[in-house]
Amino acid sequence: MNRYLPLAITTLAILAIATLFLVIAPGMQIRGQGAAPGLQPYTEAEARGREVYISMGCVYCHSQQPRATAQAPDAERGWGRASVAGDYAYDAPHLLGTMRSGPDLMDIGDRLPSQGWQLTHLYQPRAISSWSIMPAYPFLFEHKDKAAQGDVVVKLPPAYAPETGVIVANQEALDLVAYLRGMRHDYAPPADGLRDDGYALMAAQAKSKTEAAKSAQ
Amino acid sequence: MTDKNKQDPRLPDETFEPYEANRRIPLPVYWIAIALAIWGVVMLVQTSHSTLLADKERAALDKQDVAANAPVGAEPAASGKTVFNANCATCHGEFGTGSVGAVPPLANSDIVKAGGAKLIAQIAMRGIDGPITVNGTTYDGHMPNFASALDDKEIAAAASYVARTFTGAKDGVSAEAVAEIRKASAGQDPWAGGAELAAATPGLPAQPSAPQAAADMVQNADVATLVSQGAGSVWSCASCHGDQGEGTQTVPRLAGLPAAYIAKQLHDFQQGTRENDSMAYVAKALTDAQITALADHYAVMRAPSGARPSLDGDLARGEQIAREGDWSIGVPACFTCHGPSGFGVAPDFPALAAQQPAYVAHQLAMWAGGSRHNSPLGLMAGIGKALNDADRRAVADYLASLPPVPATPKVELTAMRSDAQPAKETTNDQ
Amino acid sequence: MTSNHPSDTPPPGPDKPSRGQTAKRVIYAVSGGLVLAVLGSLALDYGLAPGWLTGQGNTPTPAAKGDQAKLFTPPDVSTIPDDDFGQSVRRGMAIFNDTGTNAHDYVGNALNCSNCHLDAGRQAYSAPMWAAYPVYPKYRSKNKMVNTMEDRIRGCFTYSMNAQGSPTGGPPPYGSDVYRDLQAYFFWMSKGLPTGEKPEGAGFGKIDKPEKEPSLDRGAEVFAANCAVCHGKDGQGQKDMNGKQVFPPLWGPESYNWGAGMHKVDAAAAFIKHNMPLSEPGKLTTQEAWDVAAFVDSHPRPKDPRQVNGMTVEDAFNKLHHKHDGYYGKTVDGQLLGGGASPQSAGAPQQDGNSGG
Repeated sequence: MNRYLPLAITTLAILAIATLFLVIAPGMQIRGQGAAPGLQPYTEAEARGREVYISMGCVYCHSQQPRATAQAPDAERGWGRASVAGDYAYDAPHLLGTMRSGPDLMDIGDRLPSQGWQLTHLYQPRAISSWSIMPAYPFLFEHKDKAAQGDVVVKLPPAYAPETGVIVANQEALDLVAYLRGMRHDYAPPADGLRDDGYALMAAQAKSKTEAAKSAQ
Repeated sequence: MTDKNKQDPRLPDETFEPYEANRRIPLPVYWIAIALAIWGVVMLVQTSHSTLLADKERAALDKQDVAANAPVGAEPAASGKTVFNANCATCHGEFGTGSVGAVPPLANSDIVKAGGAKLIAQIAMRGIDGPITVNGTTYDGHMPNFASALDDKEIAAAASYVARTFTGAKDGVSAEAVAEIRKASAGQDPWAGGAELAAATPGLPAQPSAPQAAADMVQNADVATLVSQGAGSVWSCASCHGDQGEGTQTVPRLAGLPAAYIAKQLHDFQQGTRENDSMAYVAKALTDAQITALADHYAVMRAPSGARPSLDGDLARGEQIAREGDWSIGVPACFTCHGPSGFGVAPDFPALAAQQPAYVAHQLAMWAGGSRHNSPLGLMAGIGKALNDADRRAVADYLASLPPVPATPKVELTAMRSDAQPAKETTNDQ
Repeated sequence: MTSNHPSDTPPPGPDKPSRGQTAKRVIYAVSGGLVLAVLGSLALDYGLAPGWLTGQGNTPTPAAKGDQAKLFTPPDVSTIPDDDFGQSVRRGMAIFNDTGTNAHDYVGNALNCSNCHLDAGRQAYSAPMWAAYPVYPKYRSKNKMVNTMEDRIRGCFTYSMNAQGSPTGGPPPYGSDVYRDLQAYFFWMSKGLPTGEKPEGAGFGKIDKPEKEPSLDRGAEVFAANCAVCHGKDGQGQKDMNGKQVFPPLWGPESYNWGAGMHKVDAAAAFIKHNMPLSEPGKLTTQEAWDVAAFVDSHPRPKDPRQVNGMTVEDAFNKLHHKHDGYYGKTVDGQLLGGGASPQSAGAPQQDGNSGG
């Protein structure tokens, strides 16, 4: 081994360039972005639900970042408009996620606003979709003989309902559902909001191509 | 040392010390590295170009919105004409002629002459549900309300255009006056035909009396609970479809859909001919009587639009597909079958106006992909396949911009239910 | 670094580069890299790269159908000029699409021009107006004279629009604005087509003879399975909640009369084969198209307006219909066809039809 010096310098330079482009520059861009107008801060229940979301590891299978229409048909799937930086203003840490083993949840509160549905689905996803690969979370619920005042009873089909008594959601489940129902980002994003426009050119080219083909007819 | 070397020349020289040869990097490695570098730079430039382009498009869109909301005074006739042609002409005709036996004329209409632009704005803000007599002919009027689809300036422009162009009136109506009308109309039911209009506006020609809210539909208490609270294992309908049946994103608007269509879909969910796990779960727990009652409940519901264009669709293209179709790709106009202005044609063609855009685009994609396959004759499968992703978003966004469909009149539905039996017998006879 | 140690110094290799060689290598490397980049981008441009690599997928080009390419494309509606001529064109289009309203005095049924001339008269093989306009005036054996476009439209009103049942009892008088506006619309639409040449896409297109004689029973089945969704089980079409006719009636007092071209089974079969069900042309086989055309045209409809002065159906058949492939003058289900259609003889009673047919 020889020439340690140039080797070390080259290594550091590569690292520095990567840091500059992947950490420092984006950091500078995001610094100026406040909360998107229309974005509500989390309520107490939602904030608690967010902690449950993190502790249950939801982020490992669910993303929170719908893509632009030029990149993926997320809007068509009902996953909401492409997110902008301002949508995550109250998220520290953000829960963008990297995997989509399950659907994106950025707009789940708009898409499935039903508390009843969410509770049934958390208790036993297979009760709704026989093919679902999502784990069940029965430990967020309690089996009681009789619902007490103020208890939220989970609606279950006969196949999954207990033989006697009722299934009641505990506070963690209610908080998690409150968080999910609060996931609504249906306001118009700020025009100057930071977003991924990387595919706009490709989309424009594709559009002009089809138009040209049409006019050529 | 020398001894050892001499011992066996075939063995490697033990005194040999390894060293790094100054071997050159092969040329192809350079080629690939340089090509990648060039590609990287090109991508960087392209992405920044792309970002600029998207920014420009957004700015242009904003400007368009501003232009659409430009003060009416600037060029009232032109912008009023645009609003009229886009929103009113689908039923009343470009020349305000209406449609014989169905839609009252605006041109030389005695009502428009008597009430002027202000009356038109009042009607547009609330819609009509009831008989109305125009130029001596009585129409069974069902007009949507445009309160959620058009803003004050647009309604003022269109109303002024109608009064000036079709009856030669001098005065229009100002956006401020329309704002007042909007306030007064908030929460009001549609005008119950010409009689209520005549009561509110002096000088209108004689109007037929509205039918008494004839025999209210047999309201099923069971259904009211089902809708608002759910029952047994079933979640409440309203928890997803909204208190007013207006829907959200991929959850469809139900208010005002034909009863027969809603019932058919629920039965299809039950039998698996339409696939949706959540709805199959619900439908399987419903009895036939409950399905009929639910269908009626939503069919007569008149609710404001809960839909806004939200898919980045090209509205002009969407309007073209909905009103004219695109025969170059074999797609007829949506309105050819779903009725002018997307009101729907019972029982097989649901209303499209004010439907949730994500729902429409999603369903079109499902028709195309084959995961929805319960349309009569498979008509929608072919259409879904012919539309590409951008077209689907365009038409969905356009339909979301329309005013909500007038609900099926309760009276008609009650009549339909009471003579459903005899009607069936007649068809069997043939 | 202690590079003075002898073992560190590589022995002077045979390939120790000299100055000139380095420059040469730099040139080779850079030009090679450039060539590679250029080749790569060319491959991308010519679509040689697979879709999964570019992320573009295979976007189907619209209307890649071979025979569609040859067809004339009429100008877009948005290009109608904004002047007095344009106004006339627009009025013509309004008459075409809502004939009962905009030519109210001359229409005796619930049809519009655009019910058969699809896409506002623009659709090839549904007798598009751009294909008709350039070939008029022409001689027609139907009335044994040279017909101008006005004569031809007059014929449409007389038969297809059943003008005998209209408020005035007849087609628009010669010189009427109805003709003027309709012709302005057709003229505008035919821009660029040579006069006197029948363009591809004219009329209803050709249809082969059926293998089996058309059967009303089979036709009834085809109708129930493919047509009833829109045209109703009783063939009377459907209206929206305002009472506006959305799907046209196919027989009965509100449909075309016995003098209309569509009453001929061969014409109806060609139209159906090439246009129906809407958006799925060609779905029906040739045999099915003939069967269902026969079924539709074997129902009562308004009488032939040429059957006047005490002429019986039999006289009219011998004089006017003996060469036609239709059901005029024949007896179906014990009923002699051609006598006209009263509201009762339609499939279902019409409660609020237009001025009778």
